[in-house]
Amino acid sequence: MNLSALAISVGPAFIASGVEFIEATTIILAVGVTRGWRAPIYGTIAAAVTLAAVIGVFGATLVTIVPEHALKAFVGALLLLFGLRWLRKATLRFARIVALHDEERIYLKQIAELKAQGLRKTGFDRIGAAVAFKAVLLEGTEVAFIVIAFGAGGAAALNGAIAGAVAAGIVVIALGIALRQPLTMVPENWMKFGVGAILSSFGVFWFAEGLGTTWPGDALSIFLILGLFLGASWLSVRMLRTMLPHGAEVAARNV
Amino acid sequence: MSSRIPRLFEAIWGLLVEDGSLAVGIVLALAATWLAAMTLFGLVDQLGWFLTAMLLALFVANLYWAAHQAKIRGDGRPG
Repeated sequence: MNLSALAISVGPAFIASGVEFIEATTIILAVGVTRGWRAPIYGTIAAAVTLAAVIGVFGATLVTIVPEHALKAFVGALLLLFGLRWLRKATLRFARIVALHDEERIYLKQIAELKAQGLRKTGFDRIGAAVAFKAVLLEGTEVAFIVIAFGAGGAAALNGAIAGAVAAGIVVIALGIALRQPLTMVPENWMKFGVGAILSSFGVFWFAEGLGTTWPGDALSIFLILGLFLGASWLSVRMLRTMLPHGAEVAARNV
Repeated sequence: MSSRIPRLFEAIWGLLVEDGSLAVGIVLALAATWLAAMTLFGLVDQLGWFLTAMLLALFVANLYWAAHQAKIRGDGRPG
């Protein structure tokens, strides 16, 4: 694989997937610490198998039945829905309208909720397994989107994106096992901001390519689109901060 | 367990749609671009920039509206 393919698939896929793995790891750690490790491990394995089956069935069907141009447009549309949602939330966070993502707070809240549910001394812990299953399935679905986004350029890009995502999973899980606490040292809010902009840029690129557009400089156009999204987000953060007095910022959580 | 399945689908749907107006706006922008591609054959290479411009305008307008709503709530009036 050449360096440009690496730069455009492995690195971004590693960073973006890393954010998702961190979020899933936080929930699994909370379940494991509170209720024991057996149930969350079973829940995680069940979610991974479900996700693999869904991706295998739908992915294979999409790739074999849908023509290449239509597939690119479809992937681009999904990425835009997914990426702009992330970018919007990240912009609102940096404008202090929505609370910043705090892995430590989520971890403690999850622990409190799990403790409140109570734990039976005998039998399989269904609640612990279900919580882990849901977390891994949801975050795993986001990882699947990310891999598709960065791998839609062809077999080399797809392999690179898968390698990036797998590497991120291994690193995050290894850190989670070693530290036994949420990975709060990772600048998740910045990563989400960047990843939202990157996914949106890839979404525009693939959708237009699906309609037959030839971009100047081919994939290099993505950098220009990315710059426009980042610029608009930065200007929006400034605009929103001037719009809201401090009191309104505090009262306006969860817009 | 049966009530968890709809909730799971809701959560997966939430991955794509968090703010309804933004999602509808994106779909409309994509539809407009697709319509333009079907009718304006000579301009197909400009459609990517056309889509980018529409999405940026939508994005900024959506954030402005969100902040405006937040401001109203912050002032104690109903949002």
